[in-house]
Amino acid sequence: MSKTALVRLQTALAYGVLSFLLVLVLFPFYWMTITSFKNEDQMRSLDSMFWPSPFVLDNYVQLLTKTDFTAWFGNSVVVAVSSTLVATAIGTIGAYALARLRFRGRAFMSSAVLITYLVPPAILFIPLYAQIRALGLSDSLAGLIAAYPSFTVPFVTWLLMGYFESIPVELEEAAMIDGATRFGAFHRVILPLAGPGVLAAALYAFTQAWNEFLYALVFITNVKLRTLPVGLSGFITGDVYGWGYLMAGAVLTTLPVIAVYIYLQKYMVEGLTAGSVKG
Amino acid sequence: MSVGARTYPAETAPEVRPGATVSRLKRWLGPDWRLGFLFVAPIVVLVLALVAYPFCYAIYLSMTRKFVGMPPEFVGLENYIRLASDGFFQRAVWNSVIFTFGSVIFKLVLGMAMALVLTSKIRFRNLFTGILLIPWVAPTVVSALNFLWIYDGSLGVLNYVLVKVLGILPQGVGWLSEAGTAMAAVIFVNIWRGFPFFGISFLAGIKAIPGELYEAAAVDGANAFQRFVHVTLPGLRTIVIIVVLLSTIWTFNDFAIVYILTKGGPGGATMVLPVFTYELAFGAQRLGDAIAVALYMLPPLAIVIIVLARYMRRGHAR
Repeated sequence: MSKTALVRLQTALAYGVLSFLLVLVLFPFYWMTITSFKNEDQMRSLDSMFWPSPFVLDNYVQLLTKTDFTAWFGNSVVVAVSSTLVATAIGTIGAYALARLRFRGRAFMSSAVLITYLVPPAILFIPLYAQIRALGLSDSLAGLIAAYPSFTVPFVTWLLMGYFESIPVELEEAAMIDGATRFGAFHRVILPLAGPGVLAAALYAFTQAWNEFLYALVFITNVKLRTLPVGLSGFITGDVYGWGYLMAGAVLTTLPVIAVYIYLQKYMVEGLTAGSVKG
Repeated sequence: MSVGARTYPAETAPEVRPGATVSRLKRWLGPDWRLGFLFVAPIVVLVLALVAYPFCYAIYLSMTRKFVGMPPEFVGLENYIRLASDGFFQRAVWNSVIFTFGSVIFKLVLGMAMALVLTSKIRFRNLFTGILLIPWVAPTVVSALNFLWIYDGSLGVLNYVLVKVLGILPQGVGWLSEAGTAMAAVIFVNIWRGFPFFGISFLAGIKAIPGELYEAAAVDGANAFQRFVHVTLPGLRTIVIIVVLLSTIWTFNDFAIVYILTKGGPGGATMVLPVFTYELAFGAQRLGDAIAVALYMLPPLAIVIIVLARYMRRGHAR
């Protein structure tokens, strides 16, 4: 086989695999979206499977007026935003200290952060629930806001440690030679440079908190206080599975995360890999 | 610079002057100890309160007979001993092993395919990279619900395609309600959600391999496959290990996908350990047993975590 033919074959193979992966990845989202615009009769009759006909908004109307969806959306926003702010503040200064400052116990704390990041919620959720209950925070959004930093803080810290390490130490040294204090160097030189990294880490923390399921399922019993993932999954415990409004809810739950992702795709892709695979 | 391996200035000859003890203490604490302690303090509090303390409490609870709302009664290792011979527990362990390895192997293969495609000469590479990453950022619960609907026995699109469009099957299959297909169906969803992380990590790793290595291999007459085996794979070694171990932890502890799709059914066919723990704690109200199950997961996880932490620290130190 000639060389050009071989190259052409490779390119064809690449496009073939790419098409397969794209269909695999996108079909469930396509299916979710068109289902949300179909009416009940159309779903039952299996007519015009792959395009809504008629195209209706009934599911969205029902979701927003007859269910607690808007309350859940609000709860998710409150919980995700608050726990993101906490995690970003604590994680940023902590990561800077662990990456740059010289003090006793630094190596130990770096390990502790990493191991905490790796310990899965499935091991911790029962004792954490017992603790949240003992504090009188069960069945409240405050309980989730208190618990979510257990995974967002180690994650943000670990991600930003790598980020701070990649900023040349000479910049800080120069500032300190010019008379800046250690804190001044951090505040005026490093923080502005770390802006994109901090933003990416914050958005990660946000999506993690937004998507969290297990703690929210365990800690909250009041239906009105559920977050979106638990609220949506609650639709399937009834006998009638309202697939239309369930999928409408799924679309509206996914949109904020996708919006964040499109806006910051570049940072997020870099950040995602920096956290686990550097070097 | 290696974390923890930083050397401190050698101690100077002891001088007899006031404040020498203070300065020695300072040297022991490190030059930046004030700001360091201040900045790390919130993390210390957090790790102690939200991870270390609950963890120790869990060890205690696992040695008690505890029902929700009742005081715990200490029973020693009884829960662990009883569980070891419990058929449901053994089955959950086995299911978890199948679920984890079945998922991770296919994620590895698909992730490698994704990375290779995205490094080959195709158009709109960045756009496609972004699109292929979507399952990883979308809420897991949403994805699980999507597949619950796709798999639906009577109205689901999977049966529609296989029966009506392609005519491969004579009639629809209850993918999640039949013991023979349920495990494969939940594994598929986990693969679908997780493979983009493998892909994006491998992609970053391949980009970091020096181009000269490929050129040299090509000059030596290596074809594309040989270049993959002798240049790409060795260059990706560390990343593959890190990603596989990370994914093993996450998959082993995946709760949402199995809980939403099958709740461990039918008849326990997909009952994995995290769902088993949840059901014991909040279904059967046997908290002590539930935590003992969770802690049984710990030794294998600890090994994975320790190995993984080493690799990740090494990566970080550069």
